[in-house]
Amino acid sequence: MIQATSLAKNYGAKRAVDDISFTVQPGKVTGFLGPNGAGKSTTMRMIMGLDRPSSGSVTVNGRPYAGHRAPIREVGALLEAKAVHKSRSARNHLRVLAATHGIGNRRVDEVIDLTGLASVARKRVGGFSLGMGQRLGIAAALLGDPHTLILDEPVNGLDPEGVLWVRNMAKDLAAEGRTVFLSSHLMSEMSLTADHLIVIGRGRLLADAPMADVLSGTGAARTRVRTDTPAELANALAAPEVSVTTTGPDTLEILGVSPRDIARRALDARLLVFELTPLQASLEDAYMDMTRDEVEYHSGPVAGPEAPREPGRRASK
Amino acid sequence: MSTDTHTAQTSPRARTTTGKGTSFGRTLAAEYRKFSTVPSSLVLLLTTLAVMVGIGALAAWGIGSMTESMANDPEAAAAMGGDPSGMADSIASSGIMLAQLIVGSLAVLVMSSEFTTGMARATFSAVPKRFPVVLAKALLVAVMAVVVTVVSTLISALVITPILSSYSMEQDLASEAFQRNLWFGAAYVAVVALLGMALGGLLRNSAGAIVTLVGIIFVLPMVLSFFANDFISDAKRFLPDAAYSNLIATVAPDGGLEHWQAGLTLGLWALIPLLATLFVIQRRDV
Repeated sequence: MIQATSLAKNYGAKRAVDDISFTVQPGKVTGFLGPNGAGKSTTMRMIMGLDRPSSGSVTVNGRPYAGHRAPIREVGALLEAKAVHKSRSARNHLRVLAATHGIGNRRVDEVIDLTGLASVARKRVGGFSLGMGQRLGIAAALLGDPHTLILDEPVNGLDPEGVLWVRNMAKDLAAEGRTVFLSSHLMSEMSLTADHLIVIGRGRLLADAPMADVLSGTGAARTRVRTDTPAELANALAAPEVSVTTTGPDTLEILGVSPRDIARRALDARLLVFELTPLQASLEDAYMDMTRDEVEYHSGPVAGPEAPREPGRRASK
Repeated sequence: MSTDTHTAQTSPRARTTTGKGTSFGRTLAAEYRKFSTVPSSLVLLLTTLAVMVGIGALAAWGIGSMTESMANDPEAAAAMGGDPSGMADSIASSGIMLAQLIVGSLAVLVMSSEFTTGMARATFSAVPKRFPVVLAKALLVAVMAVVVTVVSTLISALVITPILSSYSMEQDLASEAFQRNLWFGAAYVAVVALLGMALGGLLRNSAGAIVTLVGIIFVLPMVLSFFANDFISDAKRFLPDAAYSNLIATVAPDGGLEHWQAGLTLGLWALIPLLATLFVIQRRDV
């Protein structure tokens, strides 16, 4: 369990984290979302006692991180940047960390096998790919078999097999009753892995809710309909509360009517419908809605610096 | 905090491993493992040994041939002001002036590499109280400096024995001069190493810390000697290099510091930067 209370961090005049309070519960995977520069990594570093909060406090399992007698058995962390001396081998890196807690070589070799590093464990870390470095970071986080895991962008640079592995690992660890707190900028990955979401933007808390609530919070559900007669169907559905968008020559997206009612009216009008798909709002949509005004670095239009900066519209879809 | 439900949910595998925490001994073991698992440590230690032995041998050869030529030419000997064979006992330590920089740089790296590689994040996550890490590193570099200096001085003494005897000179390892050079040399290199380690922690930058160390050890005495001012020549005696020269002399020089004052001066050159580093590392973000 991680508990942040009015946590804030200033870098000079810049407020990186602005008075956020949240609780990360054991037994589920909590996702930590936010645009670049929103304060995710800073928050994670403060949890780990690496950065000192400007105000507020954060505890892990009821105590400040530094107050634990065996910190890496309480919390395992993979922080965003590589934290390894390049000319040391992966195994020796883990043995160094293990030595601080009297953890034996057996556990070191166990996490090496667990993270699929066995073949490169004796090679120097400087030659590792991004994915291998990431696996080593995860191995280090698992070393103390901790109750709480903090993973900053764990799937960064991993191959599809690795992504799946991290996803299953996070879920398994949570199922064992541990606290799993992970950040990712991959929205699809997050929606598959996390049970609960904490969203921040420009250092402020935007949402702290179960994944399902975040998803359903984004307007009413839409339905995709494919038909040979889109114009007639649009007429048949026409009503003030209904909005129909043409997304293809034979495809409509309809908001404001349930799929059942769409089918009934199509039947009444004797129109052929050959696809009727309820669309769940994607996490991406929900996220974009929430963070529209909170992104730190807008991706401005490429043409000319004078172009008006439109607040954070999605660059691609 | 609902610790009861928390532990109840935790797997048995997790529970069997609790109850073992960090300690100073374990931190020291981890720091030693860190030191011994990067190739640069061994390379720099062997370089130190080679430099000490090489410079010792060169000095023995130089002083030996000088003694010989003076024996053949009494006028030249008078002009040089005395018999250089009395220096025989300090020849083995001649390499210290260079060796201190290598050991000092190694000590800088022990601390600065934490920050330049990002290892500090892993290190201070494992030992979040931080000060045990700094103390363990301090102990490690001090012991490393003493051991490498003593060992290479003794090997150097061994190597130069035949060179000296070919010029019919002799060194006495039991003499006060040799013993002073050996032990105060080792202590001096340890002070330089601690100073280097502290600079590495304060500046978090390898090159910057090494340059600063060279500045304090080599450049500062040179710059200060340009000034004839009383205050500055007074102050010069308190530089680490001057305190070391004072300590290895069997008789403290006239108008200079007493031996105990020089010893205290050297000690403070290690202690004050170390305390500053402890304070700064404790407070700064990683």
